[in-house]
Amino acid sequence: MKAVYIHIPFCKSICSYCDFCKVFYYSKWAHQYLVKLKEEILDLYDGEEVKSIYIGGGTPSVITVSELKFLMELLKIFKRSISCEITFECNLEDISKELLTILKQNQVTRLSIGVQSFQVENLKKLGRNHTFKDAFSRIALIRELGFKNINLDLIYAIPGETMKMLKEDIKCFLALKPDHISTYSLMIEPNTLLWINGTRPIKEELDEEMYRYICKSFGKKGYSHYEISNFAKPGYESIHNLTYWNNEEYYGFGLSASGYIEQIRYTNTKNLSKYLQGKYKGTEEILSKKDIMDNEMMLGLRKVKGIDKEKFEKKYQVKMEDVYPIKPLLKNGNLEEKKGYIFIPYEKLYVMNEILLKMI
Amino acid sequence: MARQIKQENIRNFSIIAHIDHGKSTLADRILELTGAVSKREMVNQVLDSMDLERERGITIKLNAVSLNYTYQNEEYILNLIDTPGHVDFSYEVSRSLAACEGAILVVDASQGIEAQTLANLYLAMNADLTIIPVINKIDLPNANVPKVKEELMKVLGFKEEEILLCSGKTGEGVSELLEEIIKKVKPPKILNEASLRALIFDSYFDPYKGVVALVKVEEGTLKNKDEILFMATDATYEVTEIGVRTPKEHPLEELKCGDVGYVVAAIKDISSVHVGDTITLKKNPAKEAIQGYKPMKPMVYSGIFPVEPNRYEALKEAFEKLKLNDAALTIEPETSDALGFGFRVGFLGLLHMDIITTRIDREFAIPVIATSPSVVYQVTLTNGEMILVDSPNKLPEAVKIKQIEEPFIYTNIIVPSEYIGPIMELCQNKRGIYKSLEYIDETRVNIHYEIPLSEVVYDFFDKLKSYSKGYASFDYEICGYRVSDLVKMNILLNGEIVDALSIIVHKDFAYQRGRAIVTKLKEVIPRQLFQIPVQASIGSKVIARENISAMKKNVLAKCYGGDITRKRKLLEKQKEGKKRMKMVGNVEVPSEAFLSILSGDEK
Repeated sequence: MKAVYIHIPFCKSICSYCDFCKVFYYSKWAHQYLVKLKEEILDLYDGEEVKSIYIGGGTPSVITVSELKFLMELLKIFKRSISCEITFECNLEDISKELLTILKQNQVTRLSIGVQSFQVENLKKLGRNHTFKDAFSRIALIRELGFKNINLDLIYAIPGETMKMLKEDIKCFLALKPDHISTYSLMIEPNTLLWINGTRPIKEELDEEMYRYICKSFGKKGYSHYEISNFAKPGYESIHNLTYWNNEEYYGFGLSASGYIEQIRYTNTKNLSKYLQGKYKGTEEILSKKDIMDNEMMLGLRKVKGIDKEKFEKKYQVKMEDVYPIKPLLKNGNLEEKKGYIFIPYEKLYVMNEILLKMI
Repeated sequence: MARQIKQENIRNFSIIAHIDHGKSTLADRILELTGAVSKREMVNQVLDSMDLERERGITIKLNAVSLNYTYQNEEYILNLIDTPGHVDFSYEVSRSLAACEGAILVVDASQGIEAQTLANLYLAMNADLTIIPVINKIDLPNANVPKVKEELMKVLGFKEEEILLCSGKTGEGVSELLEEIIKKVKPPKILNEASLRALIFDSYFDPYKGVVALVKVEEGTLKNKDEILFMATDATYEVTEIGVRTPKEHPLEELKCGDVGYVVAAIKDISSVHVGDTITLKKNPAKEAIQGYKPMKPMVYSGIFPVEPNRYEALKEAFEKLKLNDAALTIEPETSDALGFGFRVGFLGLLHMDIITTRIDREFAIPVIATSPSVVYQVTLTNGEMILVDSPNKLPEAVKIKQIEEPFIYTNIIVPSEYIGPIMELCQNKRGIYKSLEYIDETRVNIHYEIPLSEVVYDFFDKLKSYSKGYASFDYEICGYRVSDLVKMNILLNGEIVDALSIIVHKDFAYQRGRAIVTKLKEVIPRQLFQIPVQASIGSKVIARENISAMKKNVLAKCYGGDITRKRKLLEKQKEGKKRMKMVGNVEVPSEAFLSILSGDEK
């Protein structure tokens, strides 16, 4: 079963760190965009059952009620499995009873909220503006309307951030009792405001200390650390995100969306006017078997549990250790094996690229 | 094809100058003016034929060119012999000057006299040449002709009316210069009847003809098909082609006394043609060779290793090819525990080394690691035997050594007088022995020290620049060996000695050098999965230590909306970075780390 990613590239304000494909919200474009999105879906979707739909952005929550209803109609094109996970990304300030009601009526099961931080200095750097009080009341509203699965995004390692500030943030996040938390160490990407302003990243030592603190704190409160950056209450692991880490196939619809279908990894055009003309295609790459196996390792080892050796062998008709230097890596402690799973030792997860480089 | 020009109408001359004073541009104008190269064919700086030469504005291999010029209805042949101005090649400069009767001394109108101006001028004076002083670049807005004139008069004793003004860029004054050469430079001595003596001042390898020797016929006549004898090596060959370069090769039937031209004799190996050697005829040999011949001796040695071990054979071939054109290069195989199989290569100096390693990288696309260059030490053992040591790893154990001598240089350091203090401090820090100081004019001095060559090989150039804010110019000559209190210092990575990082240092400076090196290595070696101690030791005593702490973070935390390709690209990029790395034990060391220990800041 495949997953579906749908990109809504509109935003009301541009965050200083964001290098996703986005444009200022403009109603004429938004309407046209949704029309083209529908065309693209009808064009590519083959009718098979899907296990998750993820509506990301941009800021999907900035579109108007009528646009939202149109978007929700699009979801009906997909044949959804019984337990289909449908995630909708939103900004705190956009959350209203009306929005939530529409989402609920259309079987959206999961809300992902880009909170990032509550520390005033952090928010200033990120170009965001909200308070813990806002969050608290809106999340209460979400719960009230019966949503059972809420994800909060946390960004750390923001220039100027101290351990004290991070600890404050963790307290706030835990107080909101989310079901799932995604944490990201801030990356200063080209073509972002932070980059242009010449912002320097924080020291590696502090970044690592923060990561360890986050893992420890969430772990203590019953969140399972199932992937490098993701934490979930039991049973709330994201079906959609796991599709990526399990190296499974997914559609990507919308501006700049990436997909993976039948050995092809593609990324749609990042040019809005092209997209509005119906020229969705951007770049694509046909993967060799080795590429696919490399991706399996690169993605699978992000999971704390690691990769199931037997599944690997079944999938690729070759033993993992015949392709990768598993034995020497096990021997020098860069990999571990337990119950048929190969994984990166927990304390080395944060330097996993270094280990992958010895493999791929 | 014979030429109709009288022998007394030959003028052989060189141009000498400090780097960047416009020698090659001036040569270009001369070529253009004499019609040797048309404007259309003109690539700037024709004589500097290697890309590397044009890029760096230096002449690496000399060239010679025969030019025709008519003056007052008389035909003249002007043989321009270009010289590599750099100190590394001073022997070659001296040999090409020996082939001339005159030299144009070029001084930049905005810079004045510099260290190389003097060094090359002394060489020209030793060769008894007529010197024509020329102030070049007079078109520059910041040209100060009166001041430079005064320097030339006061320091070098020229008369005001002797000094010419010109601009290689605009061509102003260039024809006057050619006329001055004709008027003032003496024609070569004509000794047609004597036995042949031709001075080899340069050679190069032509894939079709073999070794081509550039010669000046000092006495007698050299004809095509002559059987010739190289006096230093005692080898004989039959001449297959002779001629002049205009600058294209132009075959002739004979080279007469005074001519400058080329000789081809189906010689396969450039090392059998020595610059400075004399060619004579086998059947009627000259009694004596021309004076001044010295076998070329490398001054610095470095280990050159392929980054990828499987490129060893390719590197060997590259060296063989470079050697075809470079008799000064000496190569022998070397094995390092850290770097595997490579070569111990002898160079004339640091510039020479830099040029060769760059060419290997560029022309042969073989990434190489060069180890810290070493001078040649004379080591006297306790049993009285004297050995030459060109690598720290060839130094015998301390108990077997009676004394170590190292080469010293004598400096010309020209700086504005306000930098006398800092420069003297620098020289003192470099174990220099003060010799003397001369004022060039009220504002500039020439400072003479004797300094160990090994210090110059270390970071002297960089330091000189920073101590003088870039105003110092520097030149030197080797002035002999002196006993020094030297020891071998080892560098340990993760507890293991890395032989390729060992150096020989003065005992009194070992501590600060050790500190500087470990600090530098800490900077250039990236963090790895485990902590790496970096230590400097003498014998079993550790004198400096730093730790490279373990890598803390190397992962893309965020996945960008399923854009896996991007993650993959990042990984590929990181992998690409690893290719510059050499595994030393279990530590990944970037190839530039081996040379970086030369540029440590001593604190």
